Amino acid sequence: MTDLPGLPSRRSFLKATAAGAALSGLAVSAKARTAEPPVPLDQYQPEFFTPAEWTFVLAATARLIPSEGDGPGALEARVPVFIDREMMGGYGAAADWYMEGPHQPDADPFRGWQTPLTPAEVYRGAIPVFDAWCQQTHGGAFAELDAAKQDAALTALQKGEVALDPTLKDFFSILLQNTKEGYFADPMYGGNHGMQAWTFIGFPGARANFKEWVPRYNVEYPLGPVSIKGERA
Amino acid sequence: MKTFLRIIGALIVVCLAALLAFIFVPVQRTAPTEELAADWTPEAGQGEYVMYASDCMACHTAEGGEPFAGGRSILSPMGTIWATNITPDKETGIGNWTLDDFRAALYDGLTPDGRHLYPAMPYENYRKLTEEDVRALYDYFMNEVPAVNNPVEATALSFPFNMRFGIRAWNWIALSDPAGSAYEQSTPQERGRYLVESAGHCGACHSPRNVFMGQDGLTADDANFLKGGEVDGWLAPALMGEGSAAATWPVGEIATYLATGRNSHSTANGEMSMVVEHSLQHLTDEDNLAIAAFLKGEDVGEATLLGTDLALEEAENDHPTTTMLTEAKDLSEGARLYLDNCNACHFVTGKGAPEIFPELAGNSLVTADQTGPLIGIILHGAEVPSTEKRPMRLVMQGYAERLTDEEVAEVASFLRTAWGNDAPAVTAADVAKVRAADSAH
Repeated sequence: MTDLPGLPSRRSFLKATAAGAALSGLAVSAKARTAEPPVPLDQYQPEFFTPAEWTFVLAATARLIPSEGDGPGALEARVPVFIDREMMGGYGAAADWYMEGPHQPDADPFRGWQTPLTPAEVYRGAIPVFDAWCQQTHGGAFAELDAAKQDAALTALQKGEVALDPTLKDFFSILLQNTKEGYFADPMYGGNHGMQAWTFIGFPGARANFKEWVPRYNVEYPLGPVSIKGERA
Repeated sequence: MKTFLRIIGALIVVCLAALLAFIFVPVQRTAPTEELAADWTPEAGQGEYVMYASDCMACHTAEGGEPFAGGRSILSPMGTIWATNITPDKETGIGNWTLDDFRAALYDGLTPDGRHLYPAMPYENYRKLTEEDVRALYDYFMNEVPAVNNPVEATALSFPFNMRFGIRAWNWIALSDPAGSAYEQSTPQERGRYLVESAGHCGACHSPRNVFMGQDGLTADDANFLKGGEVDGWLAPALMGEGSAAATWPVGEIATYLATGRNSHSTANGEMSMVVEHSLQHLTDEDNLAIAAFLKGEDVGEATLLGTDLALEEAENDHPTTTMLTEAKDLSEGARLYLDNCNACHFVTGKGAPEIFPELAGNSLVTADQTGPLIGIILHGAEVPSTEKRPMRLVMQGYAERLTDEEVAEVASFLRTAWGNDAPAVTAADVAKVRAADSAH
């Protein structure tokens, strides 16, 4: 074939099948998708987080969506990988947010993002402060604490009982938000590994249209989810 | 023995003389088919209208180039043909051409110096233009098109196709029909016939080719006229008779498709989308309805453009394929891929949505012997141009990244047997071929 829809070549006056056949000699392996399994989470080399930060993110997300109980936890869904990649992307750099002044970090939370720091800078600044607070209060860095103390520390962080600079005060809320995002976002972004989160809640994924199901009541939807790249689970 | 040699010698001389005459004696030009008054002038806009109807723009304008300044490459198995500059530039265009020169190009495929044009120029069809339309077109190119000095690369085909005198023999067969026309144009069907057979040169793609690669069917009097052809590996579907879209679409739907590149059933793809963009959308509603009426062999009656085909809304949607996709159980791989990738727009019924998503059931592009376009559209998507009456540009995304060759083959094969479609399967090797050819661009 010598032309694509929208890419005009001109009508020829003779049958041009020979031309298409001649080009087939150039055929290369045309495997569109590679299905290599990702490296295990404990061997993953973070792009953004330092080793100490990475240890914290692994431990903190594992408490926000624990592995025990129903459904996959944040670690099974590879949420930390999602957050690492998110920090390297537009969100981490606040690329499309208004980030010029004036900044008023101690403004009412309802005024939105008031700190001059980007989300990536908030993680970078807040993790050592929080770890130091854990050390002081519970006798170890966050990742070293047992589950009950970790939950207590996170609760204190959420309630604003950990003394953070006002520019870092949104740390817990973005950590929780990014954890949920990594759990439920399409797997192409690194989290929701194997669409486990979607399977757990019965979300059918990126199939985009379910028109034929609108009039069908009390019928179980039989298909598992499909991702944006077309994988199935 | 001597006598025999003499006879042989004489025969050789005669053959040589004939060959030389064949090569060097100028070809007769066809005379005007009608005597118009010397002071005849076209009405305002008449020449431009004939230009639109003839789609001169499509070939004679390069991508991103000045209108009609030539330089567009037309791929043929014999080599690349370069469309010429037809602006009135005296050095590189047709500024020195007389009306008779111009007519000879349209009717006989001849340049002013007597050379033969390659039949990429559809003079087989343009020779049916009335003298009025020839004059109007000439007037348009001489007086309304800005001259552009743009030397165009000369076409250099490989031997023997570079021997242009050979086209003379081809023309004996291809141009056996008389030039000009005695077309009645008083009813819409007659007007439609004139447009289809002459300016529209629909047969250039939609008639099959005979063994000499000429159009097998130049007028509605010919059995194979518009019975389907092939262009650049695409099926140019039959436009008349049993099994053609015209047989199932109402007149108004056909005209809507011509004017907007879309209707309740389908959208224009490939070459046809460009015909709509550059030519048909510029025709009057009356003319598009006339073409539709001629193709269908029916009066225009109450038909209008942009109506809704009520038959579509009343159609029964209980085909086994529809039921299977709705139940979403026991799916073949192709059916599952359809639900995961295609169903969002084309729906379990395969009917798509009027003027947006083309119907896949009974779609000639889906079931064509030429599988390249179907595979190409699945891999790379498709686009329907913006037209004046339907300005929204329609875009289908491609699935080259999302689907492997095997998966494209599965889904294409499913489409070719779904909802009553009945065409042979597509293989992964077919898909690989299309993918490789397209990435070689």
